[in-house]
Amino acid sequence: MERLDLMANMKQENVARVIDFLEENKNRDGEVSLTDVMHLAEVMSGSMYDFLSTVQPAVTEELTSIAKEIRRMKEEISQLRANDMTGNKIPDAGRELDAIVEATEEATNSIMEAAEEIMGADTSDAEAYQELVSNKMIGIFEACTFQDITGQRISKVVSTLRYIDERVTSFIEHLRIPEELDAALEESEEERRKRELILHGPQHTGEGVSQDDIDALLGDAQADIDKLFD
Amino acid sequence: MALDLQMPVLVVDDYKTMIRIIRNLLKQLGFEDIDDAADGTEALEKMKQRRYGLVISDWNMEPMTGYELLKQVRADSGLSKTPFIMVTAESKTENVIAAKKAGVNNYIVKPFNAQTLKGKIEAVFSD
Repeated sequence: MERLDLMANMKQENVARVIDFLEENKNRDGEVSLTDVMHLAEVMSGSMYDFLSTVQPAVTEELTSIAKEIRRMKEEISQLRANDMTGNKIPDAGRELDAIVEATEEATNSIMEAAEEIMGADTSDAEAYQELVSNKMIGIFEACTFQDITGQRISKVVSTLRYIDERVTSFIEHLRIPEELDAALEESEEERRKRELILHGPQHTGEGVSQDDIDALLGDAQADIDKLFD
Repeated sequence: MALDLQMPVLVVDDYKTMIRIIRNLLKQLGFEDIDDAADGTEALEKMKQRRYGLVISDWNMEPMTGYELLKQVRADSGLSKTPFIMVTAESKTENVIAAKKAGVNNYIVKPFNAQTLKGKIEAVFSD
């Protein structure tokens, strides 16, 4: 408020100086010398100087505050360690998941091979059959050791997800980004396919319908389903 | 329609392991002629070349899902009567209703056991 008053006073003072100058020179009949022009320029620039002197501290203050904010954002971005995430953490987690898929597939195949051999074995020689079953059972136990290793790999992936979650959450909090500023999500081609083809993937315990519920939907409760389409 | 253990059965799944599991379970149930396909497109091609007595299909496959396969089978006058069982991890009510509307004969949610598979196959052929 004080600043605005000061600016208003200074404006009046400068306007008065310009008016005085014009009053003093109004009877020149168009005879204007270079000195007159220079004098007018001096009066005008003097008024601009006063104006800029008044405005400068406010502008400087604003620019300093913006610079501080930019510096703070740069610090937050560096804390995010985005390069470490994209260069190391996320690819490492991907490799762990690939290894889990590979290990579980290998183990499943070993177990199934053992089971298939037992199923197809000749049972006429009881002793040989017993030995075969015993050996294959040991093979099945061995194959089940994948669970320990995959458990450790899963822990590493969970730890990476926690690392990313902590940094992104902190980044959002420090930048004070409100939820309403989140950009609207555009449906990707993959998401559109999932929606149109009703692809939800496996449900967690208690989320999907059970086999009994499905049997009810397809069987006795058919009349209720039909009502949904009436 | 009577259950005939000699009839060819088509198992459709993009996971070789699951095909192997279903194949073994079907063998245990007495089926001998078991064929497989890795997705709906391959299954449809096979179905146009051979008459299968039963199709057991997963839902989530690419490029053609089991749901799309079911709709195409039902829309094809030459294939429309083929018994079709969906075996899937898709266990939301809307999936079951959509499959029912598309003409599925039965629906098994993964993971399942041999008894469930046997029960559903018998139910399809006892209708």
